[in-house]
Amino acid sequence: MKNYRNTGGNTMRYLTLTAAIAATLAVSATSPAFAETDHKIVDKPLELKIQMNHKRYPRYIEDWPVEIQARKMTNIHLKDATIGANARTDENSGKTEALNLMLASGSIPDIVGSSRIKDFVNQYGPEGAFIPLNDLIEEHAPNLKAFFEKKPNVASALKAADGNMYYIPYLPDGKYGRAYFMRTDWLKKLDLKAPETVAELETVLKAFRDKDPNGNGKKDEIPFFARQWPELIRLVTLWDGRSSGSDTYHDFYVDEGKLKHPYAGEGYRDGISNLARWYKEGLVDAEVFTRGSSSRDYLLSENLGGMTHDWFASTSGYNTSLEGKVKGFEFKAIAPPASVSGKRVEEHRRIPIKPDGWAIGHTNKHPVETIKYFDFWFSEEGRRLANFGVEGQQYTMVDGEPKFTEEMLTNGKPINNQLYTVGAQLQARGYFQDYNYEKQWSNKFALEGIALYDEGDYLIDQFLGVAFNKDEQKVYDKHWPSIRDYMLERQQAWVLGTGDVMADWDDYMKQLNKMGLEKVLAAMQSAYTRQYGG
Amino acid sequence: MNSFQDKVGWYIRHFKREWQIYAMLAPAIIWFIMFLYQPMYGLQIAFKDYSLFKGITASPWVGFEHFETLFSSDQFMRAVKNTFIISGLTLLFGFPAPIILALMFNEVLNQLFKRTSQTIVYLPHFISTVIIAGIVITAFSPSAGIVNTALGWFGIEPIYFLSKAEWFRPIFIGSGIWQEAGFSSIVFLAAIAGVNPSLYESAMVDGASRWQMIWKITLPSILPTILIMLIIRIGNLLEVSFELIILLYQPATYETADVVNTFIYRQGLQGGQYDLAGAAGLFNAVVAFILVMTANTISRRYSRTSLW
Amino acid sequence: MTNMNLYSRGDKIFVRVNMVLLAIFTLSTLYPFIYIAAVSFSSGFAARAGVVVATPVDTTLAAYKFVLSSPEFWQSYLNTFIYTIGGTLMSLALIIPAAYALSRKQLVGRRFWNLMVAFTMWFNAGMIPFWLNMKDLGLLDSYFGIIIGFALNAFNIILLRNFFESIPESFEEAARLDGANEFQVLWKVFVPLSKPAIVTITLFCVVARWNGFFWAMVLLNDEGKVPLQVYLRKIIAELSDDQEFSATLLNAPYSVETVTAAIIVCSIIPVLLFYPFIQKYFNKGILLGGVKG
Repeated sequence: MKNYRNTGGNTMRYLTLTAAIAATLAVSATSPAFAETDHKIVDKPLELKIQMNHKRYPRYIEDWPVEIQARKMTNIHLKDATIGANARTDENSGKTEALNLMLASGSIPDIVGSSRIKDFVNQYGPEGAFIPLNDLIEEHAPNLKAFFEKKPNVASALKAADGNMYYIPYLPDGKYGRAYFMRTDWLKKLDLKAPETVAELETVLKAFRDKDPNGNGKKDEIPFFARQWPELIRLVTLWDGRSSGSDTYHDFYVDEGKLKHPYAGEGYRDGISNLARWYKEGLVDAEVFTRGSSSRDYLLSENLGGMTHDWFASTSGYNTSLEGKVKGFEFKAIAPPASVSGKRVEEHRRIPIKPDGWAIGHTNKHPVETIKYFDFWFSEEGRRLANFGVEGQQYTMVDGEPKFTEEMLTNGKPINNQLYTVGAQLQARGYFQDYNYEKQWSNKFALEGIALYDEGDYLIDQFLGVAFNKDEQKVYDKHWPSIRDYMLERQQAWVLGTGDVMADWDDYMKQLNKMGLEKVLAAMQSAYTRQYGG
Repeated sequence: MNSFQDKVGWYIRHFKREWQIYAMLAPAIIWFIMFLYQPMYGLQIAFKDYSLFKGITASPWVGFEHFETLFSSDQFMRAVKNTFIISGLTLLFGFPAPIILALMFNEVLNQLFKRTSQTIVYLPHFISTVIIAGIVITAFSPSAGIVNTALGWFGIEPIYFLSKAEWFRPIFIGSGIWQEAGFSSIVFLAAIAGVNPSLYESAMVDGASRWQMIWKITLPSILPTILIMLIIRIGNLLEVSFELIILLYQPATYETADVVNTFIYRQGLQGGQYDLAGAAGLFNAVVAFILVMTANTISRRYSRTSLW
Repeated sequence: MTNMNLYSRGDKIFVRVNMVLLAIFTLSTLYPFIYIAAVSFSSGFAARAGVVVATPVDTTLAAYKFVLSSPEFWQSYLNTFIYTIGGTLMSLALIIPAAYALSRKQLVGRRFWNLMVAFTMWFNAGMIPFWLNMKDLGLLDSYFGIIIGFALNAFNIILLRNFFESIPESFEEAARLDGANEFQVLWKVFVPLSKPAIVTITLFCVVARWNGFFWAMVLLNDEGKVPLQVYLRKIIAELSDDQEFSATLLNAPYSVETVTAAIIVCSIIPVLLFYPFIQKYFNKGILLGGVKG
């Protein structure tokens, strides 16, 4: 595989040199020279040290074409000073070993970029390890300032408990995450249409279970399955319940300015009651809690699974990959069925702001130049550079829009991997993604599904998280983990049938309050009001 | 007056005579001091509100606050209880297993079988826990697992084992034993190899059966090794294979599956909360050490074998 | 080796039953390896779907091609050998004399030294202090640091010391009568008599080094110095990201599972080959065998 990691290799230097020359020629041949000098921040080249722990790359690679181009455009050189390069951040556990080591070693570089940087800078920023960015942005970063003015929620979500902003985030573009998918070919075979309501959905699932749509004479169909079992719980939205307010599972949500937890709501109760019934009746995969990541591959390729709730892009991809294997295979997105009160809701959506990005270390002697550098990536050219790579190398401008080269689109390698190797789509860099980059290589089925969801406007508001001060954090840490465990234990028990949610509900609520749920909600509310105002 | 001079004199003579032993010991001791004892000032993290940025010295003291936080949680106490139970059961079943395995190997006469088999049984130790967990989950799966298939032959309905709290411990402990028995038996194989074969020969002449020889010759000969391993094992009573539990457990089985380390993991305490984790670790260490001291003292009194 | 013909009838049955039970257990422990091997030769899709049981499905060499064509794989393999061989030799050089010294009754403060060693089995300072200590010693990001930083552990010392203690004094006295000093007694008497124990701790050192991952990951900054296990984790992290979030591996002939399996197979093969080499030291009769008085 291509790699720029071996920076000692002469071949690599040769290639990057030629690429750089070619890029220069290309740029000067196809666009006015002003594009390069427009963004110069300093007259003489300025070197800034950077620690970067990207989940894909262990350090900042100074030979990246994107870095070389940025250097030409801004005159700021980034020099790698990464500690703990091999201890990359763990997405699942949020472990930030490398950042911890950097801090422990006592040498914080000028810029620190990482996946999962948010909690880290919000904890150590107030202690003085990082420079607050608010004033710097106000005075020296016009692009960032404009961006935050247009999206005040994002600006609020970024803040630490002391009201300061300590990092510039990576902001994904694109609204949709997961959607409802169904074997539309089974629907056709059984002469049914896509369910419009919960009641119709139940009929469809029962038909999948009983009428043998896979035609093998056995009642082996699994009407609803899920790769991640909390997606099963998400179905409570069909009974007006909630399963999470954000991209993370089991998270709080905001209802008209008030913090609530979905697992303490009556809609949730009704939903669980019905899901338990569905589970008992065989409408849900009996092994949903343990089947895990192989669910989709196994159940779809073995022609057993009927419906799921999963990511647009990857799920749509099965239409292509299973085309030959399963006759007539069609696994398409369907609109969310209307809930019992008539609302159509897709609870999951892409998070607009990630905890990845970069911050300014407190020893940085050039904070103004640095914030201007951060700002560069939010300019039009900077954003394009961060998303698409270098003009002439990865893309060309067609009708004013960046379009990836034929070579990139057809060489069989995933586009985003190719971009990573040149230093684009670097999620530890604070930048605003451009959905157009993804659109160009999205599966046509995914795009169809997205258009469908766009039409119906099913998304709802998201909870973007809060930053606790010390007292609120204490309350949260003391009570919440045990409460969450208790909620999950009961949830599984109810679905599996070892308890009855309706009968247990009052005791369950009493227990939650006894364990301190109201205290936790109060702490979150206080943090929320402080952060987002009213 | 004299006794002090006598003592010094004795020491000088002793060192002149025995300096070689101290020379052999010194490098190791220096290593321990340099690498393991020097950083032990870090243990104070358990008593501080530790900030990586401020550093250990500048972080403020909070006394036993972290321990209070841990103990005041019902679920922590449940985790401690589970740790002891699972560990105790593993000790009861898992400690003898490698010994029995080693004894069984000792009774094999076919050398080829013996060597091949020994090589194979120690392999699961090298297969990462993730894979082992995957195999276990599949084996106990209600639809396709061999266990339920076998139960089906006897007309028993499939059981969704891994979602039931009462099945977690047997499955977890059994998997652990199966994975580690082979590798753990190596120590005992080495000990058995040190037994004088003429003992067996003379016993055979006396008409003893192999079974009697195991009890009267083999086991007593390897008793010191068994005791040392037992003491160490007791010291590890609070260490339960964290990774395997994470992979096998579910909220539905937290009741019996949740142990101290998984509890801490779920608290989100692995990303920078070194102080709370440090307190839990110190708690583990102190309890373990007390257990070991007790076991060690008993062992020293009754069998002359001890850790120190 | 005892002649089975001399066995009584009861004993013969005992031996047979024993073998059957062992055979069953052995087959069960063989299974994970067969499974892993099968996965490594299967297609990505089949592995993801979980349909591989004991034989490859949609057989392909794609995973191996992916793994073996990466220069980092070979570098990390070499590194693992360096750490394993260097580490084990250093460990033995330190452990054997120390265990001998600790077993000598005339050692002053014997209980204290033993306690000092054993204490470290339960009390350790934690990751950050250990890392800072290595940094202060200038041992970050170096082969030597990894080799020496983990050269000793209490368990191996105690094990060997215990074995030394069980060697009858008669052997030692014979050598002393000949005027041997401590070094000679250790080298000429104890070491040959303790071959099973020494081989065991060698095996433990080798295994620990071979599987070593966490500290190598944390202490090494240069990717060219990492051992195989760190490389494995890195590949898994990258491929998982591709597979889970970008769905880019959907149509590839390999997947996280098959590549992981291929790497595991590659890392187990030396282990498989090493053990038979040392098994001969576990034969009985060492004591009688070749020891000069």
